[in-house]
Order: sequence, then C-alpha cells, then structure tokens
Amino acid sequence: MPKDKLKIGIYELTGCAGDALLVVDCENELVDIFQAADIEAFLMAKSDNNDGELDVALVEGSVTTEKEIEELLDIRKRSKVLVAIGICASLGGIQACFLDPKEWEKNLKKVYGEVDMINTKALPSKPIDAFVKVDYYLPGCPIGREQFLFTLTRMLNGNPPELYRFPVCMECKWNENDCLLNKNILCLGPLTAAGCGSVCINHNLPCVGCWGPYEEANRTAEFKLLLEKGFSEEHVKNKMANFSGTKIVGFFSQFKGEKK
Amino acid sequence: MKKISIEHLARVEGNGGVTATLDGKVVTDVKFFVNEGPRLIERLTLGKTPEEDVNLVPRICAICTLSHKYAALRAMEKALDIRVPAKVSLLRELMHLGEMVESHSLHVFYLALPDYVGFPNAIAMASKFALEVKIALEMKQYGNQIMKTTSGRYIHGENPVIGGFGRFPGRDELVAIKNRAIQFMPFVLMTVKLFCELDYPEAPEAETLYACCNPPADKYGLVGDEIILSNGETIDVQDYKNLTNEFIVSHSYCKRSHYKGKPYSVGALARVNCLGERLDGEAKKMYKKYFNARWTKNPLFNNAAQALELLFAFERIPEVVNEALKLPDAAIVTAQNKDGKGAGAVEAPRGTLFHYYEITRGLVSHSDLITPTAQNAEDIERYCYIAAQKLLDSGQEDKIKDRMDLVIRSFDPCISCSVHMAQVKKASDDNWRDKLAELTATTSPVFVGMGMAGWSDDGVGLELARALRRRGVDDVWLEAELEDRALSDTNGRRPVVFLDAVDFGAAPGKIAIIPLQTAAWNSVLSHRFLPLVTGRLNLAQQKNSFLLGIQPSSVREGEPISEPVFRAMEKILEEIKK
Repeated sequence: MPKDKLKIGIYELTGCAGDALLVVDCENELVDIFQAADIEAFLMAKSDNNDGELDVALVEGSVTTEKEIEELLDIRKRSKVLVAIGICASLGGIQACFLDPKEWEKNLKKVYGEVDMINTKALPSKPIDAFVKVDYYLPGCPIGREQFLFTLTRMLNGNPPELYRFPVCMECKWNENDCLLNKNILCLGPLTAAGCGSVCINHNLPCVGCWGPYEEANRTAEFKLLLEKGFSEEHVKNKMANFSGTKIVGFFSQFKGEKK
Repeated sequence: MKKISIEHLARVEGNGGVTATLDGKVVTDVKFFVNEGPRLIERLTLGKTPEEDVNLVPRICAICTLSHKYAALRAMEKALDIRVPAKVSLLRELMHLGEMVESHSLHVFYLALPDYVGFPNAIAMASKFALEVKIALEMKQYGNQIMKTTSGRYIHGENPVIGGFGRFPGRDELVAIKNRAIQFMPFVLMTVKLFCELDYPEAPEAETLYACCNPPADKYGLVGDEIILSNGETIDVQDYKNLTNEFIVSHSYCKRSHYKGKPYSVGALARVNCLGERLDGEAKKMYKKYFNARWTKNPLFNNAAQALELLFAFERIPEVVNEALKLPDAAIVTAQNKDGKGAGAVEAPRGTLFHYYEITRGLVSHSDLITPTAQNAEDIERYCYIAAQKLLDSGQEDKIKDRMDLVIRSFDPCISCSVHMAQVKKASDDNWRDKLAELTATTSPVFVGMGMAGWSDDGVGLELARALRRRGVDDVWLEAELEDRALSDTNGRRPVVFLDAVDFGAAPGKIAIIPLQTAAWNSVLSHRFLPLVTGRLNLAQQKNSFLLGIQPSSVREGEPISEPVFRAMEKILEEIKK
C-alpha cells in the first residue's frame, strides 16, 4: 500500500452518466473504496467537492462544449494519472457519429434551428484524448463492475492496471456459449473489446459492439468470414460504427490496409 | 428567428439550474436551464435498423435506461405491427417496476428526505435515520437486481428486444424476486406513512394540469395506448403531439411543452392525481387515508406520491411474478413489415416518455423523443416563480433559494441535477435599461399603451404611448384602439412591449421590465393581462412579450400624473430615443 491514501476525483462530461452511476451501484464495495482512498470529487455521490491536486482522475463522457474543454484541461493539469471511463470518454460515444463537422452542424441546426444558445457553445462530440493525454482506458457502455473494481484496487495498491487484451469471444468461450456466427447471426464479438462477460451472447443475442473496437482484432479473417456468410461490408461497418465513435476511422483504415 | 423544427432531445442530467431575478418587491424573471452539450440522439438514429435503434436510445440516460428501452420497443412494435405474447408483457412490466423501485427509493430517501428532516445529505442523516438509510439502500439494490434479472445488466441491458426477450429469467430467479418483495412490505408501509405525513410547505401552491399514460382495464399502471389528463380528457398516444407541442427557449438545450397554451406536469404526482382511484389493496387504503386537495396543486407532494407508488410496486411485483410463472416462455416475434410508423409511451419514474419512429424500407427515417423533464420544464419555472413571489410577499426573501431547490428536486429531474442549484439574483435599479436595449437591439418592438386616462398615474401607459408617437416611433398602439393585426403581424419575431402602471410595492417612479408570462403568473398583475395573453397572442408571441411597468404613487380620478411617475416617463423616453 502507498503510504498516503490516493486522492481520487470522478468527473462527468457529456454522456448518460451511466459509468458514474455504475460506480455508485458498487454500493457494498464503495464503502471500502471510500475508506482506502480520499474521494476528492464525485459530483453524483457527494456535495463537498474539492478541486485540488489528484493522484487519479476518472473521467466519463465526451467533450461537446467549449466549457468542457476548459474543465478537462484543468483536470489533466491537476492529475498524475488520468483514466477515461466508458466509451464516451474513450471513443466519443454514440453521439460522435457525425464525423464530418459540416454534417454535424447541419444536424445541430435541424434540431435547434437558428436559436443562439446563450450559455455555452456546442462542438461535435470528441473523445477526451483529442485534447489531453490519457493514461488508461476503461471501455464499456457502461463500464463493467469487475473490471472497474479490479483496475481501481490495483491502483490503490500502487500497481498499474492490467486491462483485458482480448475480444468478447474469449469470455464467450469461457461461458461455453454456442457461437452465433455458426447460426448465421451477425455477432460483433470478434471485433469488440472484452470486459462485459459476453452478456448479450449469454442471453442468446448477438454482441452489439458496445465496448468499442478491440484494436488487435483479426479484422481480415473476420471480415472475410462475414462476407462469406453473406453480410455486406456496409452493414458490418454501420453496425460497428454505432458504438465506436471517432475511433471507427482508424479501425477501418487499418482494416483496409490488411485486406490488400 | 427562423422557423424552428422540433427534433431534439436533451437529457436533464449534470449541468442545469434555475435563476430567479428579484427587482424590488417583484420577481421579474425565472429561468430553468440545462447546460449540457447537445447529443443529437434523434438525428443519429436515422438510417439505423429498428434493432440498432433499440440498442442506442437507452444510452440517453443511465437512470431511465429501461424506460427508454420500453418506450422504443412499444413504438417499434406499433410501427411494425408486432404483438407480443402475454409473458413478454408481464416481464417487461416487472423490469419497469424494478426501475421505478430503484429510482423512487433513491430519490425519496437520499435526495428528498434530508431537506425535510434538516440534514445536509443522506450520510449525515444516517445518525438519526440509520434504519431508513440502510433499508432504503437495500431497496435500491433490489430494484437494480430486478433490472439485471430481466434486462441482463444493471445499466443498458440488452435482453429485452423487439418481439420479446433473448432469454427468459428462470423460475428460481423470479421466485426470489417475489419473496424479497414480500419481505420489504413492513418497511414500505412505514415509508408511505413517513412521506405522506411530512410537513410540506404551502408555497408554491397553484393549480396545474396533470397527464400520464392511461393503463388498460381501469388499472393503475405505467404504460398505455392513451394519455389521460386530470381534467378527464384523453388523447391517443399516436396523437401525442397534440399534448406535447414542443418549442425551444434560448436559455437551455432542454425543450419545452405546452398543452393548449398552458404548462402541465407529469410524474408520480400526476399519476396519483389521474389514476389514484384505481389503486388496490394496501395502496388503496393509504390513498384513501392521505390523498387530499393539496395533492392536486402542490408539486412537493410528488415525494408522497412516489412513496405511494413504491407501495403499489411492492404489491404488484408478486402478482406479476405469479402470472408470469403460469405462462410458457415464447420465441421472439419477428416483424413481417419493413415500413410503418408509430408512437410508444411509458411512464418513466419521473413522468411520461414518448418515442416516435418512422421506418422506411427497414431503416429509421424519422424519430422524435420527448422526455418527462422537457414536459415539466415550464411548470418547474412557474412553480419556482410562485414560490419565490409568495415568499417575497411575506418578507421571507432569505428562504427563496432553498425553497426553489425543494421545488426543482420534487420534480425529480434526474440525480445529479437535483443537487443544489438554485440561484437568487438581485436586479439593479437600472436593470430595465439593459433589458430595453436588448429588446430594441435587432428590431423595433411594437408598443402598446395600457391604463385608464384621467385616473392620475394609471394613465401613464397611455401618456407614454402618445409621447412615443409624437416622437415618430412606429407601431405604437393604445389599448382601446389595438387591432388584432398589430399583434398577429409580429408573429413572435418582433417583441411586443406593454406600457402600464404596475404596483411592485416599490417607491413611486420605479421602472421594471417583466416577461409577460411572468406577469401572467402573478395574481395581482394577471387580471389585467390574462385576457390579452390567452385570447390574442400565440405562444411565440407570448414568449416575446414584455411589460414595461412604472410604480404609481396614487390612482385617483381627475388628478394629473404625479411628479415621480412623470420623471420615470421622461427617463424611458430618453432611453428609447437612444
């Protein structure tokens, strides 16, 4: 154990607050965490929040306003380690699907017309690493309870977190599920980062990709397989794009290179 | 302002608040705002398959995730003409009740109760209410457990799909849920007693219209194909736009709703007002015991209504489980249609939630999502105003901030924005100059002089209008000559400024500019303006109309305008000349 208690801050930018809520939902463990670490800031759980120096900052949500950029830069400046929690912070989230700024602006106008908002200027949704250095990523929509507690306890003990480096298929095999691809059901498990415990396949449903892309996935083989099964390239990419945010571009450009 | 199309959704969570501006003895402005960045959820569902849409939309809010899921499922199944088996409906009801147990128990015990028993937060409250704090947490965990068992995860579970469930919960899991519900009953009854007997302050008390889903078969419940209003009217969910009439305000990313030009409320209190007579069992007994006229007009009773709904949920859960256990699991019903449109409504813990989709060749071509907080926003502002003005009238200015906090929190907008967020601002004496400059910045307003000529200061509005005309200002009208076209031509694009003597309870000659809507909520000012507001101005015009008032010193027949009021008039003319 480090001599002093770690100072931790948990922050929410734009998103559904599901990652922070999941931390709150770890009720029983939360008592121990609050004892083992100093929770300096956690807006959802407490009202007396400090904005001083931090050992670890956990940041949920994507950046969608100018004010949030300032907030984020301030958090980075005060923190030794910054962890992105959830796919909004890691990838930009489902709201980062308008990759072309013009397309985004068109849609913003469709929704709000020409009304000028007086409080804050809106921006296309971006992951936090578009603005600051991120030390670790905890993917998920929302993050997984086990992976969160595992990561946090390792850090509390002064060790670097060990993140899962395998796709959903690995967990799916551990759970002894039948592979849905064998039944010609489009499952994104082979392309998606693990950590959810293959929850959808455990419920006889295909993986929807909500933990975002698994960077080391064997894209070439997987894509070939899906094409053989009769799924179109567009269909697979659209489905994969739902939860991959701005990172979908890199994921598929790499993909293209491999295909050649 | 150009034409605004209403296609947006903003979750109220995180960054939001209310600001009230006090000008002397009058609350001149109340604004409820949400500062969170826009996510354009409705736009990003376009081009997705119905299945993908149902994966994506629960991500709007982690707290109401299953309500969003359920509303989307109902809309999609309506659009694609899918009818699900009874077991599917029952297990969806169970997951929905689980979400309500989680949300209500958290809200009443952890967010609302500390205010009423004089503690800053729930942790501090534990010193005196140890049992309540402990069992409330268990109750919340129990709600989470139901959500996980039925939906697959605590948050954003994917098990409920269009046409059914991926996997049905096992018999043992369901029986465990039922048994646990029965164990909680003594605590739930204590909860109802506690919250129904709290001392809810009188300010704010004012009538409103309540709306909720009308469950079938004359039952209390959380879904329906119809909306019922507290005045007895019903609206088909497919015609939901007749209820919601959404519009945008520039101070917030959260849209607003009006029914027939008036705000309405949704949520637990709305449900108890519309459906309370249909309750059964212990819930019926408690309803008979505690429901009274104050529940029909005081938003703070929402906490009592939530407690009553917890009792309804804990009585209903064992029934749902018993019924579900009698039925076989069913395969997922698949859609035969690739085109269609449909709306679905459910009661989220904090009120009615609408999803509407159009499906073209198997993909979403239009979507419209309307959240409870967007519908409540106008009433939140109105009740904050009423509370603030009543406290100001009775000399309790120092209580305004806390009381507005209480009002907002009672609407249960969502967890993080329910924390302290009210602000009270004092306007400077010259505040009216800035406001007037704002109104005349881009376009010239229409001025309307009001009042009674020959009654000393009551004639100041008319006198001011005549003086403006003499100085060559266009579009100046006198009350008696006012033609409808003078107002209708503005179409909400040009501000309308009514000039009149107004009793602010301040020193004679005091000048203030108040939004007309605020004036309409004020009991003293409203008798004069209400006919104008409701009869002749549409909503866009009401939102862009203002009252420029001067405090009179006396109102006597046959006397001239008093000295201070005359000077105030000169100041205004000077300012408009600029």
